[in-house]
Amino acid sequence: MADVDMATGANGAGDHSWAARSVEGWIVIVTGLNEESTEEDLQDLFGDFGEVKNLSMALNRRTGYVMGYALVEYAEKEQAEKAIKETDGTTFLEKTIRTELAFAKAPAGARRGPGGAGAGGAGARRGRDREASPSRR
Amino acid sequence: MANAELERDPFYLRYYTGHQGMHGHEFLEFEYAHGRIRYANNSNYRNDSLIRKEMYVSPAVVDELKRIVRESEITKEDDVSWPKKNIVGKQELEVRIDKDHIAFETAKIGSLADVNESSDAEGLRVFYYLVQDLKCFIFSLITLHFKIKPIQQ
Repeated sequence: MADVDMATGANGAGDHSWAARSVEGWIVIVTGLNEESTEEDLQDLFGDFGEVKNLSMALNRRTGYVMGYALVEYAEKEQAEKAIKETDGTTFLEKTIRTELAFAKAPAGARRGPGGAGAGGAGARRGRDREASPSRR
Repeated sequence: MANAELERDPFYLRYYTGHQGMHGHEFLEFEYAHGRIRYANNSNYRNDSLIRKEMYVSPAVVDELKRIVRESEITKEDDVSWPKKNIVGKQELEVRIDKDHIAFETAKIGSLADVNESSDAEGLRVFYYLVQDLKCFIFSLITLHFKIKPIQQ
């Protein structure tokens, strides 16, 4: 069953056959961001490779500065791949950033039963003991 | 690290918050192991039902998750003097990273005021902020991947 071997993925220029599409497009994770980056800075950088459909950049709850990562959504895989090829390992606001697709396909053989991951139903999955209610009646 | 290596990587993370109440067992839980993030959210309020999602993530996502955990230095803390779980509910955080394995349990924390009242305020603060940062990261991933909004508890 090992017909789908995960590709390298270690650097952005590689083959992305391992990557999974999200509901509305392709999500790129950006890491190593300068803590003073703004969403506008990211929009300017990533807008060059296609329309950025969504951008989320978290702030550190303790310091209020940028956590260091952002998630960028493109509609097309080609746009995401181009963004990665052009930005991974480059200097942005004096910091070296890494960019890569965020989601992967399930490894071969990992899916349990029809429907697989995220089918949305509680389904037949075995409950975990801590989720079981102590005999409530 | 290549994608296939995630399956052998022992890094593990699980967070649970929940309680038993008039609406049954309401909880939120997420877990990372071997390249997969699982998420479950049960709220019976107004007939909301159990949501379960799972997603496979790339090594870049896992590296960031590890970085957040390491920089928090949560593994240097100890839950021994944190508030015990109570009728309002509990939180659990389990992490296996590098040479460390922690499994903490404490009461739900309403606000920073609760943290400051603890005899181990500094340790509980580390936990409090780490949980918020983890939730923020996981929820952003879920929101973008599935276009659903996790229910904050």
